[in-house]
Amino acid sequence: MASSYPPPFEGAGEVKEGFLCPLCLKDLQSFYQLQDHYEEEHSGDDRHVRGQLKNLVQKAKKAKDKLLKREGEDRPDTGSYESFYYGGVDPYMWEPQELGATKSHLEFFKKHRAARIDHYVIEVNKLIIRLEKLTSFDRTSSDAAKIRAIEKSVVSWVNDSDVPFCPDCGNKFNIRNRRHHCRLCGSIMCRKCMEFVPLPLAQKLINGTREALCVPGSPSQSQSPPSGGSSSGMGSRRGSISSLSSVTSMLEEKDDEKIRCCHHCMDTLLKRQQKLEEKDHVPDIVKLYERLRMCMEKVDEKAPEYIRMAESLNAGETTYNLDTAGGLRLEVQKYYELIDALSKRILTLGVKDDPQPHPKALQLQRMIRYTATLFVQEKLLGLMSLPTKEKYEELKEKRKQDQEKRIQQERLAAQEALKKRQASEKNRPPASTNGELPHAIRAPHMTKAGGWLPSADSVHTRSELEDPLLQQIENIQSFLRQAREAQKTDEVAMLEENLRQLQDEYDQQQTSLAIALSQKMADEESLQQGELHRLEVREREEREQWGSTVGSTQLSFKWEPCLDISPGGGEEDTTAEDLTPKAEKSPSSGRAFPALTSQEDSPPRLRSLGGHVTPPSGEGQNSTSLNPFDEEDATPTEESSNPFFEDIKREHEEVTNGKKEYNPFDEDEEEKLADTAAGNPFEDDDTDTGNPFLEASGSSPPVSTNPFDGDDDDEVLPDLDMIEEELLLQQIDNIRAYIFDAKLSGRLDEVELLSQNLRELQQTLQEQKKKKH
Amino acid sequence: MNVTLAVKQYVSKMIENSGPGMKVLLMDKETTSIVSVVYTQSEILQKEVYLFERIDSQNRDSMKHLKAICFLRPTKENVEHLIQELRRPKYSVYFIYFSNVISKSEIKALAEADEQEVVAEVQEFYGDFIAVNPHLFSLNLQGVARGRSWEPSMLSRCTQGLTSVLLALKKCPMIRYQLSSDMSKRLAESVKQIITKEYELFDFRKTEVPPLLLILDRSDDALTPLLNQWTYQAMVHEQLGLNNNRIDLSRVPGISKDLREVVLSAENDEFYANNMYLNFGEIGTNIKNLMEDFQKKRPKGQQKLESISDMKAFVDNYPQFKKMSGTVSKHVTVVGELSRLVSERQLMEVSEVEQELACQNDHSNAQQMVRRLLQNPRLAELDAVRLVMLYALRYERHSSSVLPSLMEELSRRGVSERHRRMVQAVVEYGGKRVRGSDLITPTDAVAITKQFFKGLKGVENVYTQHQPLLHDTLDQLIKGRLKDSQFPYLGASSLRDRPQDILVFLIGGATYEEALTVYNLNRSTPGVRIVLGGSCVHNTKSFLEEVMSATGHSGSDRAQGGSRHGSRR
Repeated sequence: MASSYPPPFEGAGEVKEGFLCPLCLKDLQSFYQLQDHYEEEHSGDDRHVRGQLKNLVQKAKKAKDKLLKREGEDRPDTGSYESFYYGGVDPYMWEPQELGATKSHLEFFKKHRAARIDHYVIEVNKLIIRLEKLTSFDRTSSDAAKIRAIEKSVVSWVNDSDVPFCPDCGNKFNIRNRRHHCRLCGSIMCRKCMEFVPLPLAQKLINGTREALCVPGSPSQSQSPPSGGSSSGMGSRRGSISSLSSVTSMLEEKDDEKIRCCHHCMDTLLKRQQKLEEKDHVPDIVKLYERLRMCMEKVDEKAPEYIRMAESLNAGETTYNLDTAGGLRLEVQKYYELIDALSKRILTLGVKDDPQPHPKALQLQRMIRYTATLFVQEKLLGLMSLPTKEKYEELKEKRKQDQEKRIQQERLAAQEALKKRQASEKNRPPASTNGELPHAIRAPHMTKAGGWLPSADSVHTRSELEDPLLQQIENIQSFLRQAREAQKTDEVAMLEENLRQLQDEYDQQQTSLAIALSQKMADEESLQQGELHRLEVREREEREQWGSTVGSTQLSFKWEPCLDISPGGGEEDTTAEDLTPKAEKSPSSGRAFPALTSQEDSPPRLRSLGGHVTPPSGEGQNSTSLNPFDEEDATPTEESSNPFFEDIKREHEEVTNGKKEYNPFDEDEEEKLADTAAGNPFEDDDTDTGNPFLEASGSSPPVSTNPFDGDDDDEVLPDLDMIEEELLLQQIDNIRAYIFDAKLSGRLDEVELLSQNLRELQQTLQEQKKKKH
Repeated sequence: MNVTLAVKQYVSKMIENSGPGMKVLLMDKETTSIVSVVYTQSEILQKEVYLFERIDSQNRDSMKHLKAICFLRPTKENVEHLIQELRRPKYSVYFIYFSNVISKSEIKALAEADEQEVVAEVQEFYGDFIAVNPHLFSLNLQGVARGRSWEPSMLSRCTQGLTSVLLALKKCPMIRYQLSSDMSKRLAESVKQIITKEYELFDFRKTEVPPLLLILDRSDDALTPLLNQWTYQAMVHEQLGLNNNRIDLSRVPGISKDLREVVLSAENDEFYANNMYLNFGEIGTNIKNLMEDFQKKRPKGQQKLESISDMKAFVDNYPQFKKMSGTVSKHVTVVGELSRLVSERQLMEVSEVEQELACQNDHSNAQQMVRRLLQNPRLAELDAVRLVMLYALRYERHSSSVLPSLMEELSRRGVSERHRRMVQAVVEYGGKRVRGSDLITPTDAVAITKQFFKGLKGVENVYTQHQPLLHDTLDQLIKGRLKDSQFPYLGASSLRDRPQDILVFLIGGATYEEALTVYNLNRSTPGVRIVLGGSCVHNTKSFLEEVMSATGHSGSDRAQGGSRHGSRR
């Protein structure tokens, strides 16, 4: 809202807030200006609603583009290709389109695959079962004939006479080229086309299948039995090879260690084996990669939060705590380090292995590394630096001044608008007041914005309360009750603060009313005033009849977008919670806003100046329009009280946070409050450690329990010319990254320049350390 | 109607469908171009796609920790490769997308090959065209015609390309074609046939005014591709050759290694996006600004970083500077090379005469200018030939044509036989006999008045006064004045309202000058969106190859022409 975001940041293209025109997104400084703007610029626009929508889409795109090139500061605006031209549209700006046509064949595919798969699975299982039978007896001790008999019993062998030629190579079988039977399917092939299944492999396949069928878990168990079994089996068979196989002739070899089979069966078995191996095997690269992605996700999540904080802090706002932001910065940077380290490990995976990994595998690793560097580069650069303590104080001060100036401007503008309105009002026939009818309807939005509904009892009592401010107080009290019940402590605190302000307000207003009254007396003739009063009364009566039925009107249409844009207009209480730090302010500002909207319709001065401070729709609706002066008067007080409020809160936090992770920064806090000369927020902790990133995690509670250690350090080195050490370290790290990058892309001149910088920086760092000790 | 976006959306949807994890993109030769035109490597890397492989590549290792996204044209060879791949899968899961309609029997064959159940998705995603710009697509097809009729394989490829554009943009159009061209009619019928056959696919939400597909023939305007161009994109293509938005700069003298091939993509290059339609002079100024900008940001070698703010500024600016340095060196090199060519080949003078030939109707002046230039020893062979071609096309039937003496002049200059034959071929390809519309001589009163007013306004730029025929055709189409007798509708129904969404396809190739025309029409006409497509995007060289292959003049030279096309186009 106007109070929480100063103009300089609306230019940043992030979130536009303030008194924005819903159609052209122009920021008008005050509510009145906005209203005038709307009447002047857009009164005729309603006919082209479609055009406006198009416009909005384009605006959104523009805003996005702006976001993307936010860095390119002082470039003359070259974005010509996105601009309008005689009413036609640049092809780059054609409205978004949906995904083109698609057609899925998956169902058809699956249907045909299923039939095939069933067949395949049966085939494999058959082979495995046979294999099991073939290996289940003691092959070594049985003689060849017996083995053969058993083998024949597993599968019926194809008749020799049926197959005169080898089906695979086509050679004729004869006395030298003998027939061989596949023990798994019984088919015939020649010696050359024959393959062997080694027993260990057979064992593995059988075991693997059995496990897959019975026990899905416990991989350790599944590993050991086959290996043990096969090795012992090997040992016992060693001797038999030399003795038996040499004896049993050259013609009929004995397969005691392997099982003959055709290559079709072998193929199927090998595929099966491969599948078994892959099932539990997770390569290192996948493990590392998963961690890498996790870090990236974390960064994606934290970085925007940090940027929001940093922006707000750099604008001198008090929404966020400088130290929380610092902590977050360190956290994000730690993730960057981790990403860098992980991707480096992926890059070097298997490079030293003897058979080098496949070039494609290496390429994959390089690509992952490259992506990680791109990621770090892109995101790290978005991390703006935080202001130092002193700078922050300055910024806060400046912002306060800006705000005051702005409020004054607003007030001036408001007065002008007031005058104009009075002038036009005089000329207007009384019937025109009909047009003002709907003004009370927007009141419910307020509750939407604030997140709490005024409780039922307050609706009843409100009718008796003449002053809207009193109503507001009443409302807030009811919100407070609800918030307490809902145990939203942060909101309770905020509401209490609000309430206090309102009460102050009320007192102030009483006096201002008196002054306004006398002014008014001088300004206007009492006759006209009486007439206006009568008008007002009539209007109210009318509204009692109509107000509740008039749901949507032109005016309400105008305003709703405004509410949506403003942060205070956030939907329900849930959003208020999500935004926590932001929400501290938004509800209050959101609440002020609807009040303003209602002023728009019924001339505010009638009530405030003339003293007819009547709620526009006292009965019938739960309208809670504020005193028109509320916003204007409230802002300064709110502003002046807010910093303290923040500080108090922060101190409060400190106490509660005592032993949390943020310890080192709490210390900073102390330092900031006590010692105005303090410089960099990180300074005190870093004096004796080299790496700033270690700090965040490494600092331990004992350090923080003695907050004055840091202060002492600081007092030793308030050398104003000294470059802050933390910043130095950061810069050194950054420059190192750039050097790496420049080297990679082979820009030697840059490398030189950068490394010179690095040397200088390191020198400065050394000197600084020396001075300190 | 944005073709670039359409392909991008398809690709990102494919990647999205495959979920998280490391991925490899398996493509064929054509889909590789299709994807690489719309996405840069780093963009795709961010989507966890780390490897790009050709389906027909033998050098692929088994990497079971990768998911494979296959984006393939539904050709026989691809299906066969895919079947082999599925029999022995190298990756853990396969997500298969065909860029066009595939037959049920092929799906069945694939299903039967997938014994290991590695296929997780089989879809048709209709990205079967090269999206050069949001409003311009190409099929990268050279030599679509044999004489005055289709090369059969090209007809089916063009039909596939056009229908995939329609599907990707979700348009089911009415079709108009150029009556004078038999090829247009054939293509229109072929597209219509597909729409009828796949009516379920083309069942889109009806719009108030149905979209329109207009099919034209290059031979109606053989003039435009013969002109030298002066807007950035068109000029780069004419002088250096732009292939899938890439320029091959390896022939530039003294080029550094990393600039041998550069990418010009409006999607990722802001300078290019802002300047691609500006003329050479404006680009000169802009590039100067770019340089100055760059100098400002450049970290000064000697300057010491004394204060913390200096240092901060340096570090903050460094990445920007780095990014910029890539853009700057790229464009400086390209523009530098262009201006070298301009002065070496005296393109300013050549272009002036070309424009004079194309736009004015003053025979004696024209023939004098051509003669004078032909005397110039520095004139490049191609430029000499192109001047004579322009003359031949322009004053084909002029009573006092000096073409024979110009041809003599050419042979005196030592212009090769092949090039001289091209003059005849071009007239054969795009001469008066074949033209359906009035390309050149505006003889009726209205046209003369138009010419007169043009003259009054003064020509802003001598080098860019030519407007392609396409401009007039589209202008009349938009105004609802395009004659049904010349551009009939296919089928009984016709459009009563003025068209809104228009797809123009040029058989025999479009040019970047026409792309610019369409771009400007889009920007200047409210409510109208036009997308231009061509069997390819021509410059003079590639156009002449097209002409030679169409007229059958190429003969033995054809192989040579083909290779040149491959390296330079």
